[in-house]
Amino acid sequence: MGMLLILAWRNLWRNSRRTLITVSSVLFAFMLATALISFARGFQQQMIETMVRQETGYLQIQDAQYFDQPSLDHTLEYGDEVRQALEAHQDEIEYTVPRIQGFSLAAKGMSTRPALVTGILPQREDKLRKLSANMVEGELFSDRDESAVIGEGLAGLLGLSVGDTLILIGQGYQAMTATGKFRIGGIISFAIPERNNTAVYLPLERAQWYFVAENRLTNLIIMPKDTEHIGPLANDLQSMLDREWYSVAVWEELMPDVMGIIQMQDTVYTGIAWVFYIIVGFGIFGTVLTMFYERMQEFGILLSVGMKRRLLSAVGMLETIMIGIMGIVAGALVSLPIVYLFQRFPIRFSGEMANYVLQFGVEPIFPFILDAQIFLTQAVSIFSITLFIGVITTIKIMRINIQEAVRNE
Amino acid sequence: MQTVIKTEGLSKTYTNTAVPVHALKDISLEFKEGEFTAIVGPSGSGKTTFLNVIGGLDKPTKGKVVIDDVDIATMKESQLFDFRLRHIGFVFQAYNLIPVLTAIENVSFIMLLQKKPKKEMEARAREMLEQVGLSDKLHERPSRLSGGQQQRVAVARALASKPDFVLADEPTANLDTKSAFNLLDIMARLNKEENITLIFSTHDQRVIDRARRVITLVDGAVDKDEHIDKD
Repeated sequence: MGMLLILAWRNLWRNSRRTLITVSSVLFAFMLATALISFARGFQQQMIETMVRQETGYLQIQDAQYFDQPSLDHTLEYGDEVRQALEAHQDEIEYTVPRIQGFSLAAKGMSTRPALVTGILPQREDKLRKLSANMVEGELFSDRDESAVIGEGLAGLLGLSVGDTLILIGQGYQAMTATGKFRIGGIISFAIPERNNTAVYLPLERAQWYFVAENRLTNLIIMPKDTEHIGPLANDLQSMLDREWYSVAVWEELMPDVMGIIQMQDTVYTGIAWVFYIIVGFGIFGTVLTMFYERMQEFGILLSVGMKRRLLSAVGMLETIMIGIMGIVAGALVSLPIVYLFQRFPIRFSGEMANYVLQFGVEPIFPFILDAQIFLTQAVSIFSITLFIGVITTIKIMRINIQEAVRNE
Repeated sequence: MQTVIKTEGLSKTYTNTAVPVHALKDISLEFKEGEFTAIVGPSGSGKTTFLNVIGGLDKPTKGKVVIDDVDIATMKESQLFDFRLRHIGFVFQAYNLIPVLTAIENVSFIMLLQKKPKKEMEARAREMLEQVGLSDKLHERPSRLSGGQQQRVAVARALASKPDFVLADEPTANLDTKSAFNLLDIMARLNKEENITLIFSTHDQRVIDRARRVITLVDGAVDKDEHIDKD
């Protein structure tokens, strides 16, 4: 094996410029693919993080029918059964965020606008998504407060400001009429226009009173301590709750649209990475094929003197593998600091690009993800291609006609 | 003297041409241990085909090639690889050596394939390179050796593993007169010292004059088989 390795290694440097060009092409493909996937994963993680924090949380307990028919008629009772299930898993749960949510009409004088009224526990909600940081006027209410906080856009549309009275009219639990007057205690700003123009926040108990749904919730968000293993926690909680009344869902189930986007992105980015690989594959194949035909007579002589085809094939395979490994190692060494740099100092979108991203509720800041798995996947993909090319070389060596090869000049 | 190679009714016809080509016609010959034989004849007379067939690189259409009591014409390719490795040394016209290996590594290469112990292999390679007058070029790669020196390394490699016989296909064809004579002197000396049968094809009169047996092929058949007494 030692001599085969020496032969393969020295053969590579018979034409060092060609070998370096081929290795460089592998390096660049590895680097581009790694950077692209690291960016994509960063983008996705940012999107998931934003969505999870602003919308769903990692886990939710809902009424069994709420997911399909999200209305106040399908709220869950926050009673003993739910409390016991949560207490049994208190070691795994960091905190919970109860919400009740429904659409109403917001009015001032003769003006009305649709509003998404959400009852919250402000401290918990703040912990989840830092609402108070988005306050532009007034203050976020306390748990026992009776005032409302409304979106900056909605305030503008209705001409409301802090201290004014907001009138809400809607439908409450089981077709009860929901009406209420609330003093505006604060105005909050959101980057997403839809939210900015519709958001109305009330203290949880006031919202339950308004919707005539005392002790009821539309969603009970659960933030686990370990966000990597939420599936088992969801299963455990579900096993303690009556499936007829309660449903425990993880964020992937709660945001099928986001999952669709992520899957589509994965497909696109993987496709682009494979375009790099295929281009590089042809580069390696060209080099290996040239090396093969250049040495045809040498192969013939080696086979004549008794070198077995499998040993000669092994040399060919080793040469191809060495090109791949050198490219992968060099690619990893170059990619690592680049990915690390963009992880520490993320890309910040601005202008139209930033606005576009903001529409999805995602902050336009994208740190790269430094994940060994990404590097490993690229390495395995490129290595598989080199192996495939190595196999083609092997087949060609196995088919060499010795006499023709010896006569080849 | 013991017979090393025996051919019986050896024929080779190439049928993959427009008209079948009878490259060898009913050749029956015996080569004894320690012989120094030149296969001569004009271009296309079948010299290389004959060497290829007795070297197990090509199969005869008819007839036998008996080496060590075995008809190699009946062997499978995998058996032939092993047979060539253990019994035959080869010297080719050009591009004989592995360009990325040094002279000593080239000479050791066949022994390495034969899985000989490293110490024995190195000692033998050094000895053979000394025998061919290249003890000062042990670690030079072929590109730094002249054509004659490269052929000497090739001869050293062919003989290093102590094969039953060595086949050389026009070994001096690319050499100047001085290098050719030098190579022939070395081959003749090693033939005597190592008692290895040497068979080489040539149409170079300088080589023919050194041979102790000259077999002339014409149109694939033996025209003359002369034993020349050099003593």
